[in-house]
Parts: sequence; C-alpha cells; structure tokens
Amino acid sequence: MYLYDEIDRDMLADRASEFRGQVARRLSGEITEDQFKPLRLMNGLYLQLHAYMLRVSVPYGSLSPVQLRALAAVSRKYDKGYGHFTTRTNIQFHWIKLKDTPDILDELATVGLHAIQTSGNCIRNITADPYAGATADEVDDPRVWSEVLRQWSTFHPEFSFLPRKFKFAVTASPKDRTAAKAHDIGLVLRRNRDGVLGFEVMVGGGMGRTPHIASTIREHLPADHLLSYVEAVLRVYNRHGRRDNMYKARIKILVASLGIDEFRRQVDAVWALIEQGEIDLPPSELARIRAAFAPLNFESLPAISPTFEAERANNPALARFARNNLRPHKQPGYAIVEVSLKAPGATPGDATAEQMELIADLGERYSLGDVRVTHAQNLVLPHVKLDDLPAVHAALAAAKLATPNIDLVTDIIACPGLDYCALANARAISVAQDIGEKFTSPDKAELIGELKIKISGCINACGHHHVGHIGILGVDKKGEEFYQLTLGGSGAEDASLGEMLGPALAYDRVAGAVETLVDTYLSVRVGDERFLDTFRRVGVAPFKEAVYADAH
Amino acid sequence: MKALSANRLIDGDVVFWSNGSGVDQFSKAELFYDSAAQDAALEQAKSQFTTVVEPYLFDVAKQGGIFVPVSYRERLRALGPTNEPTHGKQAQGGHEIAALAKAVGGGHTSGRIDLLRKN
Ligand code: SF4
Repeated sequence: MYLYDEIDRDMLADRASEFRGQVARRLSGEITEDQFKPLRLMNGLYLQLHAYMLRVSVPYGSLSPVQLRALAAVSRKYDKGYGHFTTRTNIQFHWIKLKDTPDILDELATVGLHAIQTSGNCIRNITADPYAGATADEVDDPRVWSEVLRQWSTFHPEFSFLPRKFKFAVTASPKDRTAAKAHDIGLVLRRNRDGVLGFEVMVGGGMGRTPHIASTIREHLPADHLLSYVEAVLRVYNRHGRRDNMYKARIKILVASLGIDEFRRQVDAVWALIEQGEIDLPPSELARIRAAFAPLNFESLPAISPTFEAERANNPALARFARNNLRPHKQPGYAIVEVSLKAPGATPGDATAEQMELIADLGERYSLGDVRVTHAQNLVLPHVKLDDLPAVHAALAAAKLATPNIDLVTDIIACPGLDYCALANARAISVAQDIGEKFTSPDKAELIGELKIKISGCINACGHHHVGHIGILGVDKKGEEFYQLTLGGSGAEDASLGEMLGPALAYDRVAGAVETLVDTYLSVRVGDERFLDTFRRVGVAPFKEAVYADAH
Repeated sequence: MKALSANRLIDGDVVFWSNGSGVDQFSKAELFYDSAAQDAALEQAKSQFTTVVEPYLFDVAKQGGIFVPVSYRERLRALGPTNEPTHGKQAQGGHEIAALAKAVGGGHTSGRIDLLRKN
C-alpha cells in the first residue's frame, strides 16, 4: 500500500488548516456563499437535501484498516454512525455540519485521507480493479499506475478547471471490474506479442444524459508513455471541450462529434509536440511507487484447505457464501472475499461504524492489512487464507455482512436518490429495497444467476443505470416519482448501453416489473445463459410484452 | 400559497421561515399568501446569509384539513429520508409529522428547479 510521505502529510495538514480559515470567514460573513461554495466543494463538502454531505476520497478504492477505522470514527463522532460507499469507490457522510468539517479533515489527514478530487471539474478519484494484487488474471498491478495518475493529476494546474469533471479507470485484467468503458478514459493493461507492457487506451465513455461507450484510441500505448499520452488527450479536451453548455462539456461529446479517428489525429499531433521526457515518469520514480505495491508475504499453502472443505461440507451458509462471494486468488491457499453491503432491507453501500470497524479488524487479522471498495458498493478482503474462511465468514455473518449475493439479483447498485440528493427526481434506495423483498429466496437468486440491477435517481446516472442488465432511472412526471427501465446494458468488458423497455412506470409498479422481467427471462433462457445473454439473444420484445401486458 | 425553506449555514439543518427566522419543523412554518409577502420573505432570508443558505419558496396546499407541501421532494425534506425513519425531522414524531407523511400527490418545486438552473 502506498504511504504518504512527509510532503504529502504536510500538504494535507495545510489544506485542512486553509479550509478552517475559509469556514471561519464564511461564518463571520467576510465571504458570501457564492464565494465560499467553490471552496467547500473543492474540499468535498456538498449541500444536500437534509444537510451537508462530505465525500471522502478512497484513492483507487484501497483502504488500510487504520483508515477504515478513522472513517468509522468520523461517522460516529460527526455523523449518524454510518457511511455510504459510492459507485466511484468513495465514501460519503450524509449528515455533516459545516462547523465540524475542518476538524474532520484534520482527523482524516492524520491517516492520509482527504477529500481532494471528489468534486469540481478536475481529474477525479481514479477507479481501479478492486482485486488488484490478488487476482491471477492481471498482467500488472493497476494500483501502481493508478497511484502514478493520482500523483500526476492532484492539483495539476493545467487540469484543475477542465470543461467538466474527468474520470479514469484502470484495470489489468481481461475481466473488467471497473466499468472502464463507461469512463472518460479507460485504461486496460496488456502485454503485446513481444511482451511489452502497455495500455489499451479507451476514451469518451460516460453516462449521464448522453451515455457513450468509450472508443479505443490506442491499442497498445507503451506503459512508460502513459503520462505524456494522457496529458495530450487532456490537452485536446481542455482546449476543445464545450464550456458553453454543461450538458455537452464531457469529453464523450467531443469524441463523438469529432469521431474517434479525428480525435486520435489531434491527440497524436499534440503528443508529438509534448516534451515526453519531461512528463513521462522516470524509471526510478516508477520503481519507487511500484515498491509500495510489492508482492506480499504470502505463505506457501496447498491449493485446497482441508479445514475449509470440512467446514463447508457441514455448513450450508458457508457453502453458499463460498459459491457467491469468493473469487480465486493468484496465491494457492488464498481467496478474495467480497463483503456484501446489500443485506436484505439495507441501504446499498451503507456500512455502520461497527461494521467498518469489524471489517478493519478482519482486514488486519486475516487480509494482510488490506481492504478494497468496489464500484458495485461492496467491500473486499483481498487476501484471505482458505483456512481462515470459516472464521471470517462467521464474523461477517454476525455483523450482517455475509449476504451471499455478489452479482446476483439483490446485489443492487443504487445512488442516494431523492432520500438525500438535492438533484434527484425520485428515490433509488427504496426501489432497491422493494426489489430485494421480491427476491428473498437465496436459492432463487442463485438460480437466476448473474443479474446486475442499477438504479439512478436522476439522469446524472451515479447509479450507472445505463449499464445495468436492468437499469432503472428515476424520472419526473409532474413532480411524481416515475421510473424508466432499460435492459441489456453492461459495464463490464462486454460493455453496452441498455435499451428502453417502454413508458415509465409509477413507483409502486417497479419492483413487480422487475419480477416479471426475471420470470420472463427464466421462461425463455437457454442452458446457463445469464439474463444479459438471453436479452441479447431474444431482444426487448418478450420483456416488453410481459411488463406492459396488463396495461393494454 | 407558499412557504420558505433553507438550510442553516452552520450545520446544514433544514429550516422553515417564520417571523423572520428559521424554525425546525414545517408545522411551524409561516405561510405567505401573496407574492409581495413571498418576495419579502425571500429577500429577508437572503439578507441573513450568515445564518441560512440557499433559501427558496415552495407551494403548499390544504390536504385533509392541514397545509402540506405540494411537492413530494419538499415533504420528504420536511420529514427526512425514507430509508432511515429515525433520521431527520420525522424523528420528532407527533401528529403533525404523521399527517405530513400521509399526504399524497406531487408537483414541481423551485428547490430543485433553481438548483438545476444554477448548475
Ligand atoms: S444520479 Fe442523480 S439522484 Fe442519484 S446521486 Fe447522482 S445526481 Fe443524485
């Protein structure tokens, strides 16, 4: 794990103290709200429906137990004892007081946490594969490059006032767990035929009002040119992105209007003029950062653990958990453990202070001091010994954290929606809860198989509804909550945008409609097709007919 | 008929305007009948910028004998989040909260419209 050095720590302390002064000047009336708002936003502090919300950055979704405990402490001391993990792998506190915020930033700074790059038209926190350093299928550790990008982008003077916010995702695995193609820049690490490490660079993905799947601008950018190349991309965007219309200001609009070939030509022209040697990271610096993610001291263990196998045979709950929440680890005798924040009736992505502390303890004791946040609003213990799984499972279960539903119908992404967000049209959390109530049988959920439901409370699409197998978007009909359903989206390596099902549905019809969609899928699926595969084979018609049948 | 809401600057808490300052519960909100009174309230709230932030007016109408916000968003704001029934104003309980929770229907609110315009 990358640890902040003296310079980083001083910078965080300075920044917290600067904000303390700004808050004092706002409270005394020395500066107005119009002057203050951009300052508080730069420190992650938004004004929401009921209170201020503080968004704390979790750089590339990686947390130490000490940091997770600090987040738990903040939630207990300054909020209502819980935090909300977001689709950008950050954490939000929904009941923050302005007067407390400088103290909170001070406390977070002591553990290397902050709210930098969580707001504004800058390069935002970078999303990385939550299984980085643990999964067998990666060609390199994406955290190394995410940290490189973090250091390059933090306070980058040229890119602090972009036309609009800018999001990166980095993965090194053929299985995309970052929604890379839904980001402004998606980077996939690969080796070419000669074994040279490089990035497939994809650009112009994004959701919101005008969703786009990213296009590949470069098949194989040698890894050591990453910074100069993305600098060229950002420079073209910064110059030509539309600042006159916020709805057209994201890079996706520029790429779509120029076409990927012309955009590539412009980037290459700028790249040719850039002093690449000045910007690309010197090998010594890359080595310094890489050292922070050096392979851990894994024990040499047999690939099969008799302890775990015996427990699993006797404990159906553990067996179910193992089927759904474990992923293969690169090191024999270890597993990646997904911790679901989607228990029945829970708010997707919420964790109480006690739950955070428990996960921190488990991370410390059983996962080599490492905890991750996923864009699906769950947490991960990336390095758990198979021998320890029974103990980890029991501890998680006692804290309602062992719901065996990863990637299943009840593992729903939901943005805060109208329950918290001032921009929302409609609620998202309660829709997720209502759908959960329709699928209480874990057997049925496993029978249905992989099904990603994603809910956004407005077109800003924080809940990634466009790339949900079933996407649900809250819309406004004369001030009442209505929902537009889309089918067939995917944020994974087989990315696609969902197709509209039909007219928007009233709030109380949504969960029933999802049940109908699932029943329709089960009635027409062939073999072990996923919902997404069936949809792609049969199209929208049978689903539409089933949901709107009673409306005719 | 309108009422006025804002957030308290120091802690972000939702307040409703009454007699020239913010009160905690919608049931205590002052109702402004004509546009002159509404504009005056808005100006007054704006002038108290070290106390409240982002004031705006919203429609209220009679339902079941009491005045309630027309827009669902404003009722939710006057109650608290539906996923945490002990958080926000609703925690106080009582018949006024219960009546607000029972109200139905929807409408647009300048709370959201102004925000979208500003962004
Ligand atoms: S999608 Fe809309 S409602 Fe949901 S968090 Fe984003 S801005 Fe708010």
